[in-house]
Amino acid sequence: MASAVHLDGITKRFPGVVANDNVDLEVEPGTVHALLGENGAGKTTLMNVLYGLYEPTSGTVRLDGEPQTFRSPRDAIDAGVGMIHQHFMLVDPMTVTENITLGNEPRKWGGLAVDRSAAREAIVDLADRYGFDVDPDARVEDISVGEQQRVEILKALYRGADTLILDEPTAVLTPQEVDELFDVLEELTAQGKTIIFITHKLGEAMRAADEISVLRDGRKVGSVDADGTTQEELAELMVGREVLLDVDHGTAETGDVVASVSDIVVEDDRGVPAVNGVSFEIRGGEVFGIAGVDGNGQSELVEAVTGLRTPDTGEIRFRGEDVTSASRRDRIDAGMAYVPEDRQERGLVMEFDLVENGLLGSQHDPELAANGRIDWSKTRGHADAIIDEYDVRPPDADAEAHSLSGGNQQKFIVGREFERDPELVVASHPTRGVDVGSIEFIHERLLELRQQGVAILLVSSKLEEVQGLSDRLAVVYEGEFIDVVDPDETTEEELGLLMAGERPGDGGRPEATESEATERDEPADLTDSADGERA
Amino acid sequence: MSAADRARKALSRLVDASATERILISTAALVLSVLIGAVLVLVAGRMTTCTAGEAVYYFGTGFCYDPVVVFDRLFLGALGDPLSGSWSPNGQFAVTLRETTLLIFTGLSVALAFRTGIFNIGTQGQMVVGALATALGVLWASSLVSGVVGTVVLIPFGLLVGGVFGGLYGAVPGLLKAYADANEVITTIMLNFIATGVALYLVSGVFKDPESAANQTVPLPEFAQFPALLFGGRQDFSLVALAFGLLAIGGLYYVLEHTAFGYDIRTSGVQPEAAEYGGVDAKRTVVASLTLSGALGGIAGAMYVMMVLGTFQTGIPSYGFDGITVSILAGNNPLGVGVAALLFGVLKSGTTVVQFATDVPPQLVGVLRGLIILFVAMPEFFRLLGRGLPGAGSKPEAVATDGGTVTESGGETDE
Repeated sequence: MASAVHLDGITKRFPGVVANDNVDLEVEPGTVHALLGENGAGKTTLMNVLYGLYEPTSGTVRLDGEPQTFRSPRDAIDAGVGMIHQHFMLVDPMTVTENITLGNEPRKWGGLAVDRSAAREAIVDLADRYGFDVDPDARVEDISVGEQQRVEILKALYRGADTLILDEPTAVLTPQEVDELFDVLEELTAQGKTIIFITHKLGEAMRAADEISVLRDGRKVGSVDADGTTQEELAELMVGREVLLDVDHGTAETGDVVASVSDIVVEDDRGVPAVNGVSFEIRGGEVFGIAGVDGNGQSELVEAVTGLRTPDTGEIRFRGEDVTSASRRDRIDAGMAYVPEDRQERGLVMEFDLVENGLLGSQHDPELAANGRIDWSKTRGHADAIIDEYDVRPPDADAEAHSLSGGNQQKFIVGREFERDPELVVASHPTRGVDVGSIEFIHERLLELRQQGVAILLVSSKLEEVQGLSDRLAVVYEGEFIDVVDPDETTEEELGLLMAGERPGDGGRPEATESEATERDEPADLTDSADGERA
Repeated sequence: MSAADRARKALSRLVDASATERILISTAALVLSVLIGAVLVLVAGRMTTCTAGEAVYYFGTGFCYDPVVVFDRLFLGALGDPLSGSWSPNGQFAVTLRETTLLIFTGLSVALAFRTGIFNIGTQGQMVVGALATALGVLWASSLVSGVVGTVVLIPFGLLVGGVFGGLYGAVPGLLKAYADANEVITTIMLNFIATGVALYLVSGVFKDPESAANQTVPLPEFAQFPALLFGGRQDFSLVALAFGLLAIGGLYYVLEHTAFGYDIRTSGVQPEAAEYGGVDAKRTVVASLTLSGALGGIAGAMYVMMVLGTFQTGIPSYGFDGITVSILAGNNPLGVGVAALLFGVLKSGTTVVQFATDVPPQLVGVLRGLIILFVAMPEFFRLLGRGLPGAGSKPEAVATDGGTVTESGGETDE
């Protein structure tokens, strides 16, 4: 039987760049194939060739053995290829049914009117066949991101897709939505559909895929059976060298207290207290980690510390001064660096190039802007240095931030904040969306800063990250610290229980739903053990 | 390749266009609008009746209006007929520059607010307030100084008064937006009415010139007005005023591109959350921007009083609203405002020339103006639109990366 998809020697050149270099890819029908690679390895470009968005410079696309020439996605759709983009192409105010049938509506009255009942029926049938849980009459703006993704998948199926391409499908999902997505993929392949999904997360590739192909710098460096490989092997294939997934933590001299938070209460946007009487202090040369399932008040706590949100009660001190109501700018000037949780909303101005983005937060720094006048040549040098040291790709300071991939955006932000010569670094999910090679580098830099006596507040939903880097680790649950532990003396199982809200020495634990303590992220996979413990 | 794909490609081309290409595109758009306008003039001329002697003949058919004459008057007439040999600095060209000068200030006023992400419709009202304050302030001060010294002192003083009062009037919607969360579009529109109404009340009452039948203040003495220099002064234009305008363009450009304050403004304009993260005080920036924007509007008012009218009179022409169009035409870029204001000035002044020289109804001239503005603005508009689309206009290097926001898309919805 011929492969469902066979890319034969695909090369795609852009002016000055070879995005794909003679890539062969074969995908068996009815399987899930993961396309794994670092940010910028050429995964999306390759799939855009398959989806007809790009014509390859050379090479052939074969479907079921037949050579194809796609001039546009229309051709690819007609040939049975569907693509689900990372950012959904849905019309928010329209219903699920309308979105799915858009452009291919069943018609009545000789094609003059849309046959709404037939359309609805078709969607219900389709959803039933694949066991999808969607309400055909719901408006897209009212449903969750996971449901929107299922609508996208249904749209592709409705158009007759046999091969589905998913571009980083898990990036926007919550952990339990990821589980649901993988169930959906299983159901689809069971019914004969072929799935290719793009990812840079090792754990996900191993969990969901049958076969994994790894791209590096536009070349395919290997295809492996998902059951016969290890995360270490995949990481090495991706990066091209051995990657240390475990951080060598070491110790550092701790100095004076740099920042302290006492008994603060912070409300979220709805006016509900999200942080409820939290106190801690961080010394120079110390990494204070906060672990917890997303949405337990970490965001609000970090925003209160960095000056983006005013606490209702309590006190925040930084370098001996009370900064509880100090402005964001005052805190930046005093030496507080901040890697924000949301890079595209806060961390970067998407329309600005990297030169201008390198200045964000330093625009009143006499080093780069003496007397309020910006020294653009110095600023450019500053951006170039960040790009160079943090391996931001493409290495072009004139590139606008939105043109960079998510991982490269993150590297640039981390570089900008780490190089601020800070006293305190507040790092919120510093390696989210970053590939393994860069994660390693960011972790090393973070520990170097600690060595230099910088105080670090680290928030991450990746348990292995906070556990591996922190000197002291607080576990937050519903806005309160359940416990502060020594990460080296605590097992993942114990942490998992704490994250689920079980206080140490406390028999009865609050109701923990399935959704909690299930951050599935690369590379470590704590959840299986945590789930196992709870079961 | 489907039509939609071709359209997408064209859009990406437009987004990636270099500065030279953009100028070429704008020029081509101008030429195209003139050609289409010419057809309209011919068609309208065919539908009107006139004597055979007045008609012009093209392709063996008689037309009542001659598009060549219309566009010749609209453009060359506005420039004072530079090719005829009888060009005089005191002619229509001075009118064009007068309009340009005023539009530079109102255009900059709107552009500055736009760059902060604020839609200031209140430039007109700020202009009225600035104009009235200047007329009264200079009138009071003109009793203290006179002669050449008077001119040197009073003109900067008048501009300062106009700027300060316009700025204060602009600060009102700024404060309302920053501290009371009031939408600036609504407040500035309402403040326009208030400015016009209060000005009318004051000028028809306490500040009315008893010698005049019109609702106006006592005229300023000659030395308190902009000196004519070179341009004779018959057309109420002063090169000094234009120089101030050019200075304002350069100044605002410098502030936006080379100062920390300008960086704060631009960041707030495109991404307020990132600005907040970067330590920009959102409230202060809103107030500062609208104050400066109002000051520019106020200076336009001061110019109008000290260069054009020599007094404050109710019913100031809608330079403030034209400033919105100028700013959009210029892509809210201060340097572009200069060019857009000149184009607008030519069209405004050329319109009167066309009306003197031909029988073409003013409504049709308005249509021609509208066509030109529409055509010239459209490519810039589509560029803005194209940049918002994912995939369009991304650089090749960026396309080669993956996983980020540059997800190529759109083709799938092309049916």
